Amino acid sequence: MSDMSNLDRQIENLRRCEIIKESEVKALCAKVREILVEESNVQRVDSPVTVCGDIHGQFYDLRELFKVGGDVPDTNYLFLGDFVDRGFYSVETFLLMLALKVRYPDRITLIRGNHESRQITQVYGFYDECLRKYGSITVWRYCIEVFDYLSLSAIIDGKIFCVHGGLSPSIQTLDQIRGIDRKQEVPHDGPMCDLLWSDPEETQGWGVSPRGAGYLFGSDVVQQFNTSNDISLICRAHQLVMEGYKWHFNETVLTVWCGNVAAIFELDEHLKQDFKIFEAAPQEQRGIPSKKPQANYFL
Amino acid sequence: MAASEQAGDDSLYPIAVLIDELRNEDVQLRLNSIKKLSTIALALGVERTRKELIPFLTDTIYDEDEVLLALAEQLGSFTPLVGGNEHVHCLLPPLESLATVEETVVRDKAVDSLRIIAAQHSASDLETHFIPLVKRLAAGDWFTSRTSSCGLFSVCYPRASSSVKAELRQHFRNLCGDDTPMVRRAAAGKLGEFAKVVEPEYLKSDLIPLFTALSSDEQDSVRLLAVEACSNMASLLEPDDIEQLIMPTLREAAHDKSWRVRYMVADKFNELQKAVGPELTKNDLVPAFQSLLKDCEAEVRAASAHKVKDFCQNLPADSREQIIMSNILPCVKDLVSDGNQHVKSAMASVIMGLSPILGKDGTIEHLLPLFLTQLKDECPEVRLNIISNLDCVNEVIGIKQLSQSLLPAIVELAEDTKWRVRLAIIEYMPLLAGQLGQEFFDEKLNTLCMTWLVDHVYAIREAATLNLKKLVEKFDEDWAQKTVIPKITQMATDQNYLHRMTCLFCFNVLSQVCSEELVSKMMLPTIVAMANDAVANVRFNVAKTLQILIPKLDQSVIQIKVKPCLEKLKTDQDNDVQFYALEALDVTDKWSVYFRTTNGINRNDPRVHYGISRIEKTVASWRRHGLDFAVPKTK
Repeated sequence: MSDMSNLDRQIENLRRCEIIKESEVKALCAKVREILVEESNVQRVDSPVTVCGDIHGQFYDLRELFKVGGDVPDTNYLFLGDFVDRGFYSVETFLLMLALKVRYPDRITLIRGNHESRQITQVYGFYDECLRKYGSITVWRYCIEVFDYLSLSAIIDGKIFCVHGGLSPSIQTLDQIRGIDRKQEVPHDGPMCDLLWSDPEETQGWGVSPRGAGYLFGSDVVQQFNTSNDISLICRAHQLVMEGYKWHFNETVLTVWCGNVAAIFELDEHLKQDFKIFEAAPQEQRGIPSKKPQANYFL
Repeated sequence: MAASEQAGDDSLYPIAVLIDELRNEDVQLRLNSIKKLSTIALALGVERTRKELIPFLTDTIYDEDEVLLALAEQLGSFTPLVGGNEHVHCLLPPLESLATVEETVVRDKAVDSLRIIAAQHSASDLETHFIPLVKRLAAGDWFTSRTSSCGLFSVCYPRASSSVKAELRQHFRNLCGDDTPMVRRAAAGKLGEFAKVVEPEYLKSDLIPLFTALSSDEQDSVRLLAVEACSNMASLLEPDDIEQLIMPTLREAAHDKSWRVRYMVADKFNELQKAVGPELTKNDLVPAFQSLLKDCEAEVRAASAHKVKDFCQNLPADSREQIIMSNILPCVKDLVSDGNQHVKSAMASVIMGLSPILGKDGTIEHLLPLFLTQLKDECPEVRLNIISNLDCVNEVIGIKQLSQSLLPAIVELAEDTKWRVRLAIIEYMPLLAGQLGQEFFDEKLNTLCMTWLVDHVYAIREAATLNLKKLVEKFDEDWAQKTVIPKITQMATDQNYLHRMTCLFCFNVLSQVCSEELVSKMMLPTIVAMANDAVANVRFNVAKTLQILIPKLDQSVIQIKVKPCLEKLKTDQDNDVQFYALEALDVTDKWSVYFRTTNGINRNDPRVHYGISRIEKTVASWRRHGLDFAVPKTK
């Protein structure tokens, strides 16, 4: 019980965009690993659920998202990865996600994006942010350990396949995904890399990705995959789309994105679809990141 | 004895650390130490603080800006620590150095502190220590020190001897004519406060010429600060003098070639109006105000539009109506259809305030058409500003006059694609309900309020829920029973789980303003039935809602209806449902015990009622903190 109230307090802090103590991060990451290790590479999720794309450390857009979609635990959420990097508040964003996951494991599902990686976070900001906010890289180390435990994909009611990037030429069935040993840094190639890196492209077959990792996949590939796995839709994020969401290939692939114009994809218990489009949080709702380092304790 | 000495050493140890840290290489440690400077001084005692700490600080003034800023601030409240007012002048050397550094915020803070401690000097200390410092700064080589000096004249001038006063005025005159615009800006900024302490004869002979010169400075940043001094100067002069000495400058400023100066005039217009008095307002300010309202820059028009109501209100009563009609209203009409939305929005935020000034007939004839135009404006902010000020009009002509146009405007805002606009209009609903009355509300607005409950944005549904509570408070329970509850009950079987949960949220807040009978007969059956919902989120919200309802319900109802429902939810397959059911059951049990001990007491007794609402709150908060609690025994 006191554990629970401690966690509730941490969630309250994080919801206000305040960081929690390093020792608390350590305990939180340990607990979330215990939960994530039990999850499948294709984690089963039941409807109703609201699916959301890249957050990228935009804490205030995440808060806006909860205002539009409803709060955890009342609304169920599936986040498609890329929680960190680019924005000013990757630490607060990711830790809030983890705290909610520990508190309400059945109400929120987190899967891995290509930015949940040691290499990428050292280039795109999360590493520096941890260093700046905690004065050491310990918190970054706790977080990257959690990255390796995050599931690679999810399936809603056995019908809607959700993944950060897309498909892989080395994967034809969901069982092949289930067979991957995911507890590792995102590799430079191979099926695990492709799931997190690939993009749909208006072609047939497979193409070389301009990103240097993953592939471009065409409509026939999707049709084949959806038929052989008896799924109706692939839902993914990874790419900026101006309108917040975008259909591909006759509504068999969907991209959702939370950026300047954000979209969340709401599925009710009958898989009835609804998109909520909203703009980024207005300026007066945002905090200004402090340039100063956190004060050391003295005396 | 030995033990107390030991304690003495221990208590001094942190001080030693602090003093050590003042020299540390790590800026963060120095900063922490500076922030604890008063602790160090207290430990050292007044004499060592004066003789060792202050000289040490004066010598080590070449630090990071952050450390200097903290130091400058601390020194402003250091007087008791150096031995009180008779020793206050020993703080001057470090503050003098700080007042000359390059970083503006440090300098300004040092000046603030100097202003505070000036008053603590005796008259003779002021002349021996403080005023020489002001003169040194004013004659400094660097513009930084000259800039700082400008803020010190008004605090030392009143207590100086007349020969020293003459010197100070001469120094200030030099600063106003300084080569560096930064210094002239600082002098212009402090001109108003200096004018307040200078003798009337010197005000006219010395300061007015300075004011006139600064007002025609080549730099607009200097001119606009002179405008700020304008109202200060005017408030010190007789009307004839104002007319001769101030008005020519003010007239020019209102037509300055720089829009920033004109903006400043517009922004300070109400202060200026008060300072120059009614007669000059009529003859001079009215035309100036008209031209600002017609300015070519939108910023100036918006700033002056904001002042329209106060300006009109402060016009002399004998000519108020005539001036408004012939001079102001024509401008207002133009601004209502201005090309810039900020201007229109500024106008919309004050235009309703003109209604009480013009009275019933004037409002209907002249203002109503403008309100109606703004209610149809393409910009939501304009419409919202009108709607949010409806109460001003309501008192004068009654809202009915507007209702026909109000309605389409409200409906359109209620359906705006931006959810924050919808949110804003919801917040005015209780106000509108109060002014339009229940009948009109039921006919026209009730549907809107119900539609918001199924809005696709959660924040709107939440606001709509709270809105219902306010409406029930405004109208009555009968209204709730007839109009609201049936509609909410329908939502219990909605296809979408989010809407079914909204139904529970509504019961949740409405139970707080409805009677026990209504809660147990009209709400409880629906809530209990929802415990069988297929979606776990709905089921755990049933448990959460029941927990909130418990203090509202009769014991027999709790035992027969609530407990069995919670017992069933306790064995649910979903973890969260179990959690909230257990939590609610725990409260139920505690409540039952509490109820048994208080049974037989009149529950309408305000003291008992108070106890009940207390326990309702404490149960929740103690549970949150994982504490158990003993049920209070009643006598």
